[in-house]
Amino acid sequence: MPGSSRCSLSGPTGGGRREGRRRLLTAAAVVVLLFAVAACGTSRPTVPAAAMASSAGTPSGAQVVSCGQAVTLAGGAPRVVTVNQAATEIMLSLGLAQHLVGTAYLDDDILPELASAYDGVPVLSPEYPSREALLATRPTLVYASYPSAFQPEVAGDRATLAAQGVQSYLSPAACPSRSRSEPLRLDDVWEEIHQVGTLFGVPARAETLVDEQRRAVDGARATTVPDDLDVLWWDSGSDVLTVGACCGAPGMILEAAGLANAFPRLTGGWAEVGWESVAAADPDLVVLVDADWHTAAAKRAVLERHPLGRSLRAVREGAVVVVPFSATTPGVRNAAAVVELVNSVARVVR
Amino acid sequence: MTAGTASPSTWWVRGHGWWGPVLGLLLVASAGFALAHGQAGIEPSGVVSVLASKVGLVDVAPHDRQALVDQAIIWDVRLPRVLLSVLVGAGLGVVGVVMQTLTRNQLADPYLLGISSGASLGAVLVVVAGLGAGQASLASGAFVGACVVLVMVLVLGSSHGQLRPSRTILAGVAIGQLCSALLALVIIWVSRPEATQGIQFWLAGSLAGGTWPAVAATAAALALTLAWCLASTRALDALAFGETSAAALGVHVRSLRWSMLVTTALLTAVLVSVSGSIGFVGLILPHAVRFFTGPGHRRLLPAAALAAAVFLLWADTAARTLFAPRELPVGVVTALVGVPAFVLLLYRTDEAP
Repeated sequence: MPGSSRCSLSGPTGGGRREGRRRLLTAAAVVVLLFAVAACGTSRPTVPAAAMASSAGTPSGAQVVSCGQAVTLAGGAPRVVTVNQAATEIMLSLGLAQHLVGTAYLDDDILPELASAYDGVPVLSPEYPSREALLATRPTLVYASYPSAFQPEVAGDRATLAAQGVQSYLSPAACPSRSRSEPLRLDDVWEEIHQVGTLFGVPARAETLVDEQRRAVDGARATTVPDDLDVLWWDSGSDVLTVGACCGAPGMILEAAGLANAFPRLTGGWAEVGWESVAAADPDLVVLVDADWHTAAAKRAVLERHPLGRSLRAVREGAVVVVPFSATTPGVRNAAAVVELVNSVARVVR
Repeated sequence: MTAGTASPSTWWVRGHGWWGPVLGLLLVASAGFALAHGQAGIEPSGVVSVLASKVGLVDVAPHDRQALVDQAIIWDVRLPRVLLSVLVGAGLGVVGVVMQTLTRNQLADPYLLGISSGASLGAVLVVVAGLGAGQASLASGAFVGACVVLVMVLVLGSSHGQLRPSRTILAGVAIGQLCSALLALVIIWVSRPEATQGIQFWLAGSLAGGTWPAVAATAAALALTLAWCLASTRALDALAFGETSAAALGVHVRSLRWSMLVTTALLTAVLVSVSGSIGFVGLILPHAVRFFTGPGHRRLLPAAALAAAVFLLWADTAARTLFAPRELPVGVVTALVGVPAFVLLLYRTDEAP
């Protein structure tokens, strides 16, 4: 299929299935939920005010290693293009908007607290920019969340870019060399934030952001949720279900929320499983991923219609919660997703 | 068995009536095995008690949750899927035989006329255009797409009201290519692999959407087509020798070809909409069966139906159990298992003159 193998976080069949996520139909509902959560008194990690400071920071000349390739910004003002939303949001969260000469590929509305900073940055393309459009910005660094950004029709491979004098940074969560059985952890996401902070000479801002996210997650973990809940993470699919497996963002969020995955032995980020296995796994809780190509409402309809969906214990007991898809891309949104998930679980499971 | 007419090395070839009961028994035994095996490890005794309770021999306690779940697994998921794999397999076998005879082309298969490409395009449009989620709408989109392509191919393939085989095949290939291009365009244009990923499985051929309504629709279409084909076996035999010979034998070649193409194409449209396009079965199994039965349609058609049913049943059982809890598209299994088996058969039959 065209566009496959775009992303190393992919499930076993559709290589590029993590790409091109779109605006959620229920963005408004999610925002409402966020306020509800805030009103419950649980602190949600937000972008620290300091990070929004206008000072741009100075590249330190420090070297970081991104997926086996050394990256360093030395001399002159950096000119950065971010080509995935998660990369854009990390840059903006660290107050580095001034260094951005272009962004591309929004899947979802930019986080509200980052919107004003985002508005000042030229948008090269609603999806991936062409190679020419990208190079025309004369970037010194291309920052991507997925390896697909380095396909020939987008930025070109990283070695070629390096030969042209363009540095590149790829999210450690998406390194092509990552093993399919090595679990992704929030620490990996935080490592990316630290690396970007180091690269741009703002390590303290990165520290502040990560600390705040860590405190929020720790706080959520203190919420009383029964131990060892087995959770079915339903991403998409109706006849055969695409579920969260051991080692991608779903596994990461479940682990951080203190929940157990109903399919812990499946490798990779996602995998297709049959309904019989879902019934046999008998999960305590079902997470419905809300994406506009397969909404939580559509999943609820399948649960009501399918003979095995109807008979799931979790469904009969109402232990069903919704997670927005954009929260499952490794980036600044994951910590908030963990907090939201814990709070929703506390509401539906006694 | 007519002793003495066959050499020892070819006793199993041609003309002997042993295959009918053997394939029939094999199908029943395979279906029993398939029903007793699945991703949820239900004991065979559990399967039997579910079936017994369904036919009213035993009552299930309404509060026995596990029994109710088992019942849903066996009766609502596994049994329709087993039946669907039998029906789809039989349908593919029959249509494959008829298409190869009608076009006098060994490479003909049920999807030759571009019907599966049309169905895929219809299904993708339904999913992408968001006309609904779930198997029902996907299947209806696929069926509409298949029928649209069928009409286009028949119109393009006929001149002066006469359906010309080579012209029909070319029209089918051309329309199929057009549908594939449009399919690629739609998928690239929406640039949203997740949206189409759900149907990737179906495109590769899958019986996971097996439901009772799908079983009923497929059974009806198969019964009609099979009855019509079995009633026309002599005409099909004559056509296998060529149009002129058939006409000399008193066969209405034109009307036979029309009616056969339309009925089998409609059956294919139903098959594609419930199972996607499952490769290999309709193309190779008719050849494999011909090795055993010879070219006579009276034996070839039911044997191909039974053999293809058994084959697809085992392929689907493997697809859903081999890597449990994961599932594979059954089309992947049919090719992975079927092609080496067929190569082996080719070598074996080379030895026997």
